[in-house]
Amino acid sequence: MKTTSSTTSSRDNLFLVAKNLMNKFKKIVIHASLWTIICLIFLSIYGAFVGAERARAFFNSLPLGVFWIVFAVLLITGFMAFRRLIRHRSLLLIHLGCVLILAGALYGSETGHKLQKRFFGIQKTHSARMIIYEGQQNDRLYLKREDRFEQLPFSIKLDDFRMTYYRPGTLFVRTEDDERWSVPADVGNAIHLNDELGELTIIAAFENCKIRIDDGNVTAIEDAGPGSNPALAIRIDKPDGTAETKYIFEKFPGFVHSQNNLYMSYSRMVSDYISDLKVIADGKVVAEKSIEVNKPLYYGRYHFYQSSYDDEEGLYTILSVTSDTGLYLVYAGYLMLSIGVFWHFWLRKAFKITKPSGAADGN
Amino acid sequence: MEIKYTLQGLLIYIGISLYLLGFVTALLRRSKNARTLFALGFIAAVTAVAYRWYHVEHVPMQNLFEVFLVLGMMIYPISIISRRYLGVSAGVGNSADMLLAIIVLFPAGFIFDAQPQRLPPALQCWLFAPHVAVYMLAYVFMAKAAFLASCRIVGAKPLRSTELVSYEHGTYRMVCVGFPLLTCGLLLGSWWGKLAWGDYWGWDPKELWSLASWLVYAGYFHFRYIYGKKHEKLNCFWAVVGMFVILITLLWVNLSRLFPGLHNYAT
Repeated sequence: MKTTSSTTSSRDNLFLVAKNLMNKFKKIVIHASLWTIICLIFLSIYGAFVGAERARAFFNSLPLGVFWIVFAVLLITGFMAFRRLIRHRSLLLIHLGCVLILAGALYGSETGHKLQKRFFGIQKTHSARMIIYEGQQNDRLYLKREDRFEQLPFSIKLDDFRMTYYRPGTLFVRTEDDERWSVPADVGNAIHLNDELGELTIIAAFENCKIRIDDGNVTAIEDAGPGSNPALAIRIDKPDGTAETKYIFEKFPGFVHSQNNLYMSYSRMVSDYISDLKVIADGKVVAEKSIEVNKPLYYGRYHFYQSSYDDEEGLYTILSVTSDTGLYLVYAGYLMLSIGVFWHFWLRKAFKITKPSGAADGN
Repeated sequence: MEIKYTLQGLLIYIGISLYLLGFVTALLRRSKNARTLFALGFIAAVTAVAYRWYHVEHVPMQNLFEVFLVLGMMIYPISIISRRYLGVSAGVGNSADMLLAIIVLFPAGFIFDAQPQRLPPALQCWLFAPHVAVYMLAYVFMAKAAFLASCRIVGAKPLRSTELVSYEHGTYRMVCVGFPLLTCGLLLGSWWGKLAWGDYWGWDPKELWSLASWLVYAGYFHFRYIYGKKHEKLNCFWAVVGMFVILITLLWVNLSRLFPGLHNYAT
């Protein structure tokens, strides 16, 4: 009988020791989590002050790589230390979502790509740019930071690049004394400048303006040929009864008409940039899409974005190309985190019908 | 400071005046009249937003003028939801909510330029409205949380009503409602960043400040879990810091040249 009771008491003692150890472990994990969060707050603020480029380099550096891994490990350790993180599905989704986001980001990072290439032979470019001229195709990716080229297993052909504009554009007028006016660039619109300068009226608008001089007379015509030279013809009716016609070209802003010291410019706001693309593999067109800002092309586990263009002649487009490695892991994390936070904080906490005195307390 | 001699300006000024009258009436403990004035101020704010929407032909959330205009419209419904469903009231007869409505409409009325702007290509995305809207809703809840937290920190006398929770608990409930919205705003922004710029995270100053504000509230929940109500004032301090970081995210990042980045069109 005595032996049985001493066995029970030693079991109890062991249980107590284990419980104490577990409590200490829990305490360490939760405090470490809190300090990691605080640390990340300060790191984020530091990153915001140094600018995007330096912040990117900083957060992708080796010490920060270690920090991200420690963060992920800490989150996973949390599942072992706190059973409620598994018992409450909402908390599980929140924390697992964070783990997936970190895992996806690490896997899809530049270093992640390099490691995959080294250990598994996966040849994939993390991010790059490509320039394609109208009517031509290209399979070379330019890696700006490393100043070298890589090759895609397929080609991209640019059929056409074009920009669309909001209509109408705007005519801006400014005097030497910094008096300012602006008016929508519709034919017939007028600005009463002042009593000294008179009135300005838009008399014509051109998409591709060409100036013709016949016997000393200057006339502007709309050229149906290729090219683009947006312009406005304006008439200034002076107070002395005389009138003069002037031309304002979008491509040459800031032209000063010396007679009356008017600084005028014409601008149109771009509403979209569009590249008509074809994906060519083994000599065949395997996909095609007109890409715009917010509407990239997805092919061969790469996304192709409208990034820039030839702003002088409009002859080529510049695409940014990014790999999709790790992306769907990150998106899965986003989904889990979103469902988790709404479930936990709205359904289980804030809108839980309880008495005000002590309801919906704790975390 | 600039006075707007336009119909848009008039609607904003009517809204501010009604909110101000409501605030004064609430302080005089004429709750019923204050509520009516608050509701009328809300109608004026909705009309101002609707007029702006019609005028610019897109959801008016593009720049700081429009953001503050819409924020001025959001306070009233959030105030009603908070009191009826969450047992949280800010000040006597919701007077703090009315003051908050005045504070957010003031910059729209007197500070920011109301010049209509067209949407640049990057903003022409279906994610634009939900991303900004959920952030704004979150900001209002977090502002209310910060107010309640400040009341607890300075030791303000609690409101006498059995239907209402304490300042600390009210702060917690407001953060509980605001945090999922803040999360949603951050994730929608990230998704949109992927569609528009090719990266779901660009390390842009605005993104990093948004992350910092999200982390402050995540820290708040962890701190409150560790210490419970042992350090009520410190719990509340987190909520005040969170609002401070939000203000930097919303204003300083857009107005200061210190933080050039991809979000500069919001100025």
